[in-house]
Amino acid sequence: MKKILSILLMCILSASFVFAGGSSETTSTVDLTTPMTHEELVAAAQAEGTLTIYTHSSRTTTIADSFEELYGINVEVTQLSDSEMIEKVSKEAIADLDAADVIYCQDGSRVYPELLMTGYVVSYTPDNVKGNIIDPQYENPLVWEVVNKVFVYNNENSSEQPLTNVWQLTEPEWAGRLQFKDPFSEAVNMNFFTMVTREDWAEKLAQAYKDLYGKELVLTTPNAGYEWIKMLYANGAVLGKSDTTIAENVGAKGQSKQLAGLFTLNKLRTAEAKNLALAPAYNMEPFSGFMYPAYVFITKNAKSPNAAKLFIEYSMTEEGWVPFNTMGDYSPVSYLQDNSEDPLTLTDWSSQLIYEDYQWCAQARADVEEFITSIV
Amino acid sequence: MRKPSNVILLLMTIFLGYLTLFPLLQMVKDTFTVHVSESIRLNKAPGEFTLSHWAKVLFDPSSLSIFYKPFLNSLATSLGACLVSLVFGGVFSWLVTRTNMRWKKILSTLFVFPYIMPSWTLALAWYNIFKNSVVGGVPGTIQAITGLEPPNWLAYGAFPIALVTGLHYAPFAYIMIGGILRNMDANLEEAAMMLKTSRKRIVYKITIPMIMPAILSTFLLVFSSAMSSFAVPTFLGLPVRYQVLTTQLYRTLNGINQGQGYCIAMLMILLSVAILAFNQRVVGTRKNYTTVTGKSSNISFINLKKGRNVISVIVLILVLIVSVLPLISFALESIILLPGDYSFDNMTLQFWIGTAEQNSIANNEPGLLKNPELWKALFNSLKLSLICALTAGTLGFLAGYGIVRGRGTKLAKLVDNLAFFPYLIPSMAFSVIYLSMFSTRHGIIPPLYGTFFLLVLIGTVKYMPFASRSGMNAMMQLSNQIEEAGEIIGVKWPKRMSRLVIPIQKSSFISGYLLPFTSCMRELSLFVLLVTPSNRVLTTLLFYYNEKGWNQYSNGINLMIVIIVLVINAVVNKITGASIDKGIGG
Repeated sequence: MKKILSILLMCILSASFVFAGGSSETTSTVDLTTPMTHEELVAAAQAEGTLTIYTHSSRTTTIADSFEELYGINVEVTQLSDSEMIEKVSKEAIADLDAADVIYCQDGSRVYPELLMTGYVVSYTPDNVKGNIIDPQYENPLVWEVVNKVFVYNNENSSEQPLTNVWQLTEPEWAGRLQFKDPFSEAVNMNFFTMVTREDWAEKLAQAYKDLYGKELVLTTPNAGYEWIKMLYANGAVLGKSDTTIAENVGAKGQSKQLAGLFTLNKLRTAEAKNLALAPAYNMEPFSGFMYPAYVFITKNAKSPNAAKLFIEYSMTEEGWVPFNTMGDYSPVSYLQDNSEDPLTLTDWSSQLIYEDYQWCAQARADVEEFITSIV
Repeated sequence: MRKPSNVILLLMTIFLGYLTLFPLLQMVKDTFTVHVSESIRLNKAPGEFTLSHWAKVLFDPSSLSIFYKPFLNSLATSLGACLVSLVFGGVFSWLVTRTNMRWKKILSTLFVFPYIMPSWTLALAWYNIFKNSVVGGVPGTIQAITGLEPPNWLAYGAFPIALVTGLHYAPFAYIMIGGILRNMDANLEEAAMMLKTSRKRIVYKITIPMIMPAILSTFLLVFSSAMSSFAVPTFLGLPVRYQVLTTQLYRTLNGINQGQGYCIAMLMILLSVAILAFNQRVVGTRKNYTTVTGKSSNISFINLKKGRNVISVIVLILVLIVSVLPLISFALESIILLPGDYSFDNMTLQFWIGTAEQNSIANNEPGLLKNPELWKALFNSLKLSLICALTAGTLGFLAGYGIVRGRGTKLAKLVDNLAFFPYLIPSMAFSVIYLSMFSTRHGIIPPLYGTFFLLVLIGTVKYMPFASRSGMNAMMQLSNQIEEAGEIIGVKWPKRMSRLVIPIQKSSFISGYLLPFTSCMRELSLFVLLVTPSNRVLTTLLFYYNEKGWNQYSNGINLMIVIIVLVINAVVNKITGASIDKGIGG
């Protein structure tokens, strides 16, 4: 009996730990109001001496290397997946740990409500960027870069672009020939599917259907966006684990059937070196793919807030941007518009692609996730 | 209470109670509360009470695809895996212990290899060999050689998942069934033989009933492992969208319906507990059957006669395919420049020893051996695995000692269950809970998140089941009289342990350290959320390369992990006589 009692007691004890839930209100260490000259900022940053960065992109490390060399500030970079990022940064903020100073992240639909609105991170626009952003939609919170994922096809045996309308991908002819990353393993892909269900894009999809077939789309789902997703999956779309692998599968030469994929344009950089036949499908109706923002923030408990500011500033200079000077990466800053291997600029792409709206995604993504779970 | 074993049991109850029951309660709570990401949709403040997670998972039209279908798939693949393990491992152990098959020694060593390798290795190999034009790209080996396209059911989905998982865990079956066959009193079989019972009848009426407990234990281990395995279904299920519970768990925990994820995790735990309970009922009543040891005279090996060479060669080939081929494939994949082209011209060592500038094809990632990140991760992995092995091994041994000495008491039973419980919690869910549990101060316990200690803690708790099992096995074999003799002449407990118990069962105890070490070296999902820049480990680096699709690097790291573990196991085995197979079965 005693033992049972003591076990019971232990359960209650640990339960009280669980349900007590400690909340800790703290104020941010980051001062965004006091103006500083560049020299003052450098001096303050160097006095702090170290900087910790969480990022979604491996290439941030390259920026960190040149930053370290230039300013003599020691930088530690960690790559995290989207949900790890949110999990870690919010836990660190709640626990008042000073783990990361700067975070580079994507997936606005979760970053916005879970990190920004909660005050765990703050957006900082450096002086060199102020007034130089090409479009207000990249301003608040500050977008550090825009990335695009585009319908790309194998062009080994075709000189002509085989795809002009996204509804073609739901036709029997394209059955099992489209590949994209499982949207459950990359949030921005899920956000894309969420965006097509927004009323304006759903209408454009309905119109594109009419343009292609000359008749109205018959709906079995809430709108044309959902309908397109459903038909895409029903047509045997193949889910992949990484954009790199998908690009290799789509682009490999000597295949009997022509494949297409929806993946980051960045993969075209190494296409030649890897002997892949890949070409983007431009100007498809009503979109050729999607583009999404990557943000940069300072955490509220940053132990090196000045080094953080200096790093963000540096990463948006011509020198700092160098590692992203490639196909598939686009800066929203006016003086970096030509710094890309891609002949198309950010403005060119924004008329062809769906841009991720974090507010809509935060609101509707759960429904879309559930919808996709139910059709798979 | 004066007995040291009782003190140990009490301390264990507190330690394990806090580290396993607490997370469990936290998880239960998470299935009833609104999380930040769900608050917009549910229109409730984070932290509020809700029943919607359970409703969605169990009682909604969409429950079919959220839970029931993946559940049935998990059940099917796990049962399939059990069958494969039991048949492959069981037949193999019978051949080794009861027949005159050739090359037994080397075959036994090789047979345990798959368990040492990360579970996705075989899946990856299967994928490379059987993939067809559904995923496109460079054709799979079969198609490249024969021109025939493997059908979908063979390449992806239920069949390969069950088969590959089963092969991966077949060493469990071999170790447990083989262990009993080796120690079993052969008089029974010999007696039957003298009465002119047919070979077939002996197997059915004597051998199989005798090894039944081992079969059930194997079933339990394989089933729970297969249920919580994530990597294999991801590799082989995704191309045909075959979902099981773990992939569904990953999707929900990684997406924005986390509450549903916790519900799924809870249901997985419940299922495993049910199987554990069933197992204990069955094995518990027949325990005395199995402990017949020590009297065995050498049973005469069955002469396979003409079949000897044929069977030996077939077994050798099978074992080589499962154990050695993957290693060769990793080595090969890490040195080819363009995927699918295995000509000599396409081979390069640049992914091992190239500089960043030479590797523009892989985003300027320096070669593995030139990468300071890799060396740091390697050091961290070794440090973590060694410390976890030491703590889990020691605590597990003490728990085993306490449980066996206190046998029959409720406390011993409780500790036994508590120590095994972490085995049943999916790693992914376990680490999510630890992250939230230790990121804030709880009473006297400071926030541990970001510290190396937290990694050690979770590793210790998660791998204690292995060590406590082998500790129990070792203690069961050791007669109580030996310690009592020491007690009578007034030898104190520490000395009794260090001079009597430990030296006698030395190799069994050391085996209890090897399993946590091996598991820790190849563990990914347990650590991925808890590592910080300074304590990144090899598998998280591997995962990262794999996500990026930089196959040469991930294959290279895979090869490194397997080789390191094999070498360390071999060295420990040479020096102390301990080995992994003694750890599980004894």
